[in-house]
Amino acid sequence: MLPVFDLTDLNTHMTHHNTTSDYPTRPAWLAVLARATLAELEGMAPATDPLLELKAVRPPEIGMVMLRGRVGGTGNPFNLGEASVVRCALRLGDGPLGVSYALGRDKRRAELAALLDALLQDPQHHDRLQRQVIAPLAIAQANARARKQVAVAPSKVEFFTFVRGEA
Amino acid sequence: MSGAVALAAGFPDGVHDAQQAFRAVLDALARPGQIRVIGPALPGVALGGAMARLLLSLCDDDTPVWWQCDGAGLPHWLRFHVGASVADAPGAASFAVITDLGQGLTLADFAAGTAAAPEFSTTLLIELPSLTDGPMLAWHGPGIQGVQGVGLQGLPADFWTQWQANHAAFPQGVDIIFTCGERALGLPRTTRVRRLEGV
Repeated sequence: MLPVFDLTDLNTHMTHHNTTSDYPTRPAWLAVLARATLAELEGMAPATDPLLELKAVRPPEIGMVMLRGRVGGTGNPFNLGEASVVRCALRLGDGPLGVSYALGRDKRRAELAALLDALLQDPQHHDRLQRQVIAPLAIAQANARARKQVAVAPSKVEFFTFVRGEA
Repeated sequence: MSGAVALAAGFPDGVHDAQQAFRAVLDALARPGQIRVIGPALPGVALGGAMARLLLSLCDDDTPVWWQCDGAGLPHWLRFHVGASVADAPGAASFAVITDLGQGLTLADFAAGTAAAPEFSTTLLIELPSLTDGPMLAWHGPGIQGVQGVGLQGLPADFWTQWQANHAAFPQGVDIIFTCGERALGLPRTTRVRRLEGV
């Protein structure tokens, strides 16, 4: 499920300084990082302090997850199929543990997302990264999703039946 | 996220380290009493090298682990890396981690399997101060040509009486892997133990 972002709110975040509590919470920023492409992350990843050792608690590794679905979104759950997932956990110096999960097999992408998560948990970097990384990514992802919805909407088919029986 | 102790890393090279440890422990159980080197300690993990590496190699999400001392965030560390849950009682565990024999040890507390499924027993991993400096005992049985002399140090006084009962219950019973630092040796339920000195 996509986290809900109010774009006008995000725009104000980018121009005015707001209190920390107004920013997306950790589950929301992890979701944004999980959807970001490698190129986006490479472009936005900040240079880390060379004095801080980057320790891989769980080096990037590729695995599978079972995707489950429901018929019509409400029916009985069924197994749709498996998808490749890459995950990573790392720590900068003695700082907080950054984690990431992402669809696909791109280890570098998981590494960068985990690094950003670690930095976002650090109060020293949190606000700046929220403004410079999470907010633009969230807007781009919301726009892409909106564009796709507009493109797909004309192909929607309405099914209906006439009322039958005693109803 | 978890508490005070920082989560430590697992194997530096997951696939190969796990395979090496697995091969070594397979050998240790096939040749009871012979010491095998499992590997050096892992940074940040408050366990001996052999104990930590065996846990990472042998456990997965189907093997509940019972911890005699569950300090230093170790259950969380193991769960993070291999998905192993924590067993509430010794009898429900696939593996048991015993690091302080001063608390005593009752082999009958652990799962011995059933006659139909003796493989559903607990494998005990016991850290000892030394695998060679204790009173010398004679081990016999499958995997041992003639006699294997073994001098385990730090076992409770009644341990070998309990072991006799465990051996007699074959095919049921627990298997034990003793570890000390980087090294380990196996004591499968098939091994008979006789005393060489003392009574």
